[in-house]
Amino acid sequence: MSTQSYQVIGTRPIRHDGVDKVTGRALYGADIQMAGLLHGAILRSPHAHARIRSINTSKAEALAGVKAVVTAADFPPTGDRIVDLGEGETPLSYIRGNILASGKVLYRGHAVAAVAATSPHIAAEAASLIEVEYEPLPCVLTAPEAMRPGAPLLHEDLKTKEFGQQTDRVSNIAEHFRHSLGDLEKGFAEADIVLEREFHTATVHQGYIEPHNATALWNNDGRLLIWCSTQGAFVVRDTTACILDLPVSQVKVTPMEIGGGFGGKIPVYLEPVAALLSKKTGRPVKIVMSRKEVFEGTGPTPGSFIRIKIGAKRDGRFTAAQADLAYEAGAYPGAMVGAGAMTVFAAYDIPNVTIDGYDVVVNKPSTAAYRAPGATNAAFATETVVDEIAEHLGLDPLDLRLKNAAKEGTRRADGLKYRRIGCVEVLEAMKAHPHYRAPLEGANRGRGVAIGYWFNAGLPSSCTISVNADGSVTLVEGSTDIGGTRTSVAMQAAEVLGIPAGSVHPVVVDTDSVGFTAVTGGSRTTFATGWAAYEAAQDVLRQMKERAAKLWGLEPSAVRFEGGHFRASGHEISFAELAARLAETGGPVVGRATVNPRGVGGSFAGCIVDVEVDPETGKTSILRFTSIQDAGRAIHPSYVEGQMQGGSVQGIGWALNEEYFMGPDGEMRNSSLLDYRMPTALDLPMIDTQIVEVPNPGHPFGVRGVGEANIVPPPAAIANAIYRAVGVRMRRLPMSPPNLMQELWKKS
Amino acid sequence: MQAFEYANPATLQEAVAMLGSSWGEADILAGGTDLISLMKDYIHTPKRVVNIKGLKELQGITKTATGLRIGAVVTFDEVAESPLIRSEYPSIVQAVLGVASPQIRNMGTVGGDLCQRNRCWYFRQGFGTLGKDKDGTSLPPIGENRYHAIFPKGDAYFVSASSLGPPLIALGAKVKIAGPSGSREIPVEELFVVPTSNKGREVSLAPNEILTEILIPSARGVRNATYEVRHKQALDWPLATASVALRMKGSTVASAKIVLGHVGPTPVIATEAEALLAGKALTPDLAAEAGKVAVNGAKPLSGNEYKVQLTRVAVKRALMEAMKARA
Ligand SMILES: Cc1cc2nc3c(=O)[nH]c(=O)nc-3n(C[C@H](O)[C@H](O)[C@H](O)COP(=O)(O)OP(=O)(O)OC[C@H]3O[C@@H](n4cnc5c(N)ncnc54)[C@H](O)[C@@H]3O)c2cc1C
Repeated sequence: MSTQSYQVIGTRPIRHDGVDKVTGRALYGADIQMAGLLHGAILRSPHAHARIRSINTSKAEALAGVKAVVTAADFPPTGDRIVDLGEGETPLSYIRGNILASGKVLYRGHAVAAVAATSPHIAAEAASLIEVEYEPLPCVLTAPEAMRPGAPLLHEDLKTKEFGQQTDRVSNIAEHFRHSLGDLEKGFAEADIVLEREFHTATVHQGYIEPHNATALWNNDGRLLIWCSTQGAFVVRDTTACILDLPVSQVKVTPMEIGGGFGGKIPVYLEPVAALLSKKTGRPVKIVMSRKEVFEGTGPTPGSFIRIKIGAKRDGRFTAAQADLAYEAGAYPGAMVGAGAMTVFAAYDIPNVTIDGYDVVVNKPSTAAYRAPGATNAAFATETVVDEIAEHLGLDPLDLRLKNAAKEGTRRADGLKYRRIGCVEVLEAMKAHPHYRAPLEGANRGRGVAIGYWFNAGLPSSCTISVNADGSVTLVEGSTDIGGTRTSVAMQAAEVLGIPAGSVHPVVVDTDSVGFTAVTGGSRTTFATGWAAYEAAQDVLRQMKERAAKLWGLEPSAVRFEGGHFRASGHEISFAELAARLAETGGPVVGRATVNPRGVGGSFAGCIVDVEVDPETGKTSILRFTSIQDAGRAIHPSYVEGQMQGGSVQGIGWALNEEYFMGPDGEMRNSSLLDYRMPTALDLPMIDTQIVEVPNPGHPFGVRGVGEANIVPPPAAIANAIYRAVGVRMRRLPMSPPNLMQELWKKS
Repeated sequence: MQAFEYANPATLQEAVAMLGSSWGEADILAGGTDLISLMKDYIHTPKRVVNIKGLKELQGITKTATGLRIGAVVTFDEVAESPLIRSEYPSIVQAVLGVASPQIRNMGTVGGDLCQRNRCWYFRQGFGTLGKDKDGTSLPPIGENRYHAIFPKGDAYFVSASSLGPPLIALGAKVKIAGPSGSREIPVEELFVVPTSNKGREVSLAPNEILTEILIPSARGVRNATYEVRHKQALDWPLATASVALRMKGSTVASAKIVLGHVGPTPVIATEAEALLAGKALTPDLAAEAGKVAVNGAKPLSGNEYKVQLTRVAVKRALMEAMKARA
């Protein structure tokens, strides 16, 4: 803990959006009502892979109440080009293709056409009247299958990029990259023990409770207005403008309250479709997905196949490590395997490393980010092998990790050299935690540990702060508030201004009303938007000092700000008192700032878990769970703890329950929350938390993002605990009763 | 959801008269926890929905000369709270407490539980009661089937979803059914049927009949218990269950009823296991043996072999639980 003392940071004020949310007054996208509103419905592909021969919309159009039908043919006639909307270079045809299929459908649930009608029921009925003639094609559903030579091709024009070079090879492998450090062969030769293991993880969904929704009004003045549930209003603006070939200034996006996203509400699905329907009808059009559509038509996390090989000396020192990561991108390239490669050995200082990553397209929904995307899959594999090495060498699993822990100066295979990080501190906190020392008695019980990493993001954020005459300030920001960031951002401004958090009124606004702000994702909002608030507050203070100086007939440089008061020799005025006198000193004060910070600090999170396995049924119960994470600086400790608990719960669901059950035809069988089986409060114990604070030197208050690293270690820790409980190594997720029974049978 | 006419009859007679003579015309609405989702997914598209929640004839839990009567619209929560049920029928209470969540238990009714549609995902995705594609091919045996029957019957691979079915059958309960020409009583095991067509139903009710009450004989001296193997504690159906009712003679089992749930298209009566126990003192070994015998003849599908094991365990543990229970 730092010795620096803060007034606001580190306290636990109530959240600014709390009352609206608990009273049900907060407005979500599906709440939107307006004069003339039409309702949209989407027709989705019943095939995982098929050529579209023809689409006949005449029956749908003839149904009473139907106002318009659109297909990919309604996109503007601009040809394909390469665009970069913040996620790397992508052909526009891929982005459009995922929104409304053209030529081919690439997964079951792929949107093909859409209808606007006077009621949602008529729209749904009309969608079912659209006649699509398909030529079904064989499908491939897993990375290993899709990588095989001769596998059915999703994109006939997709040429593999290899080691940074474009090749002429057409295949389902969009990219194969490699990171190398040191001399792998030499490293393995030096090892006393080398373990190589293979892992499979299932496709899982973020499972946010609020389905995707969007309302669009293409106004008569040519401006397109959009209200939606998104993690990034500017991404929606830019993507929609790009798809519809409009200048960005013609599109205004208003982010509504959001009922969860976890990365899955970064991509755009409905907004351009609602816009096209609005353009055709001249009326506002609202589309709200069903849960089935969310499962089948939006981006889950990649399923993966992973091979890990680690060599160690007898004393535990790792000499070499190798990873092959094949991640399923779904229908279009972009499987987050790059992030998998950045995190797979992130916790360790290993001299000789090679990491191969494969981004593989398969006939599943195009994947999206999911809380530390790519890292959980990778850590499940690495941390299980590390546990096995500890067992073989007779070492305590935390001691083994500490012996190899990454520190400031450690170089990763992908080239990055760490600045100050908290890996050692987290591992030490785990070791010192009473949970780690508590006796665990009883048959079929076991304790497991694991550590995980997420690098976090920087990216631009903007905000303005206006001073009100009553001594409060209004803070205008562009970051969707998913996990309490209105408050964690406001608290940073309050700290600078010397006022209580409750005197800052944070407002999340539309894209016309604030400077560009990147997504609420990559655990960046408290870090980057918080930094923007910090800078804007500094700007306010600078201007306020000028006002105080004016009052006192001094130079601004003579005015100091301390403890919430402006002072100069013989003079003193509080922030609130001065705020009341702005009119007489020159008018309103508005501070503003934009940041594009570079000093991002990655976060490590570890967990300790006790399980009991019923060896007769394969059911695993979590008895005790502790999550420990480096927050850098916990601005609002309760929200940090909330993130740690939320990430842990999702990690537990991923570990034990969740998966897309897909038949060989690529149809998802369990596309309802009932059949998908996310854990609920009744399935879990209290998740204990311990915050570690190793301040990030790259942020004024030391903040690291905390939203993601916590989901990374639970599957591995649970697998390790299951091993200690019943002696089977689980290398396939989820570790559900059928899968665990299978392993128990093999053993007996 | 398709538009429908809503009817709110005041008497049982009126309600029966509002039902149709074929399936699809009208649907009975009790707690709505199943029906509404069926309608939202266009699996049921009734022209009329008949609310029976207000019918006095269907309410209340009362003692009778031979046991207990539970009205069809009594909720799970009322059952779980009833001292009459708690004192004699732990197997029912155990089954009820396993259902879903407090919210569903506040809304869902016992009649609705017995008459709920099956949970096979092929049925729920629109492939009909038996889950067949256009050409009549049964989908469960060739597709994902890990939650399906290990005792399939004919073309029926789904599992009976009712948690109340097995304990009621084990206890020898009957249901009373009202129709246009008066009422009839049948044993609960005859309520559950194997549908023979893809449009068929899982219960032997006619489209214009209403299940009005459940009649359970006294269980004085009958040790009874239900054991459920579940993946999750809440918002989930069991993977396999067993309900047992043991009539004791001193420390030996005079006669046993053992009924397996969620393993076949109807609750499955484990007659071989029942016979095994008769006249013997129940020990853990004998309970395990009964579990083994109970799954004789199981025909697991490609992905649900594990359910055979879970069923053995459920039987064993239900028997051990019954021995602990008050007689
Ligand atoms: C999340 C979740 C988990 C669940 N878990 C379980 C579980 O573990 N075990 C279990 O057994 N069930 C479970 N259920 C199902 C639940 O028990 C049923 O939904 C409930 O019992 C149905 O009762 P209801 O009164 O709401 O019926 P409704 O939804 O009103 O009706 C269900 C069906 O029965 C018919 N019906 C209702 N009453 C009568 C009557 N008196 N006569 C003739 N037909 C009638 C209706 O027409 C309809 O077809 C679960 C449900 C949910 C949503």
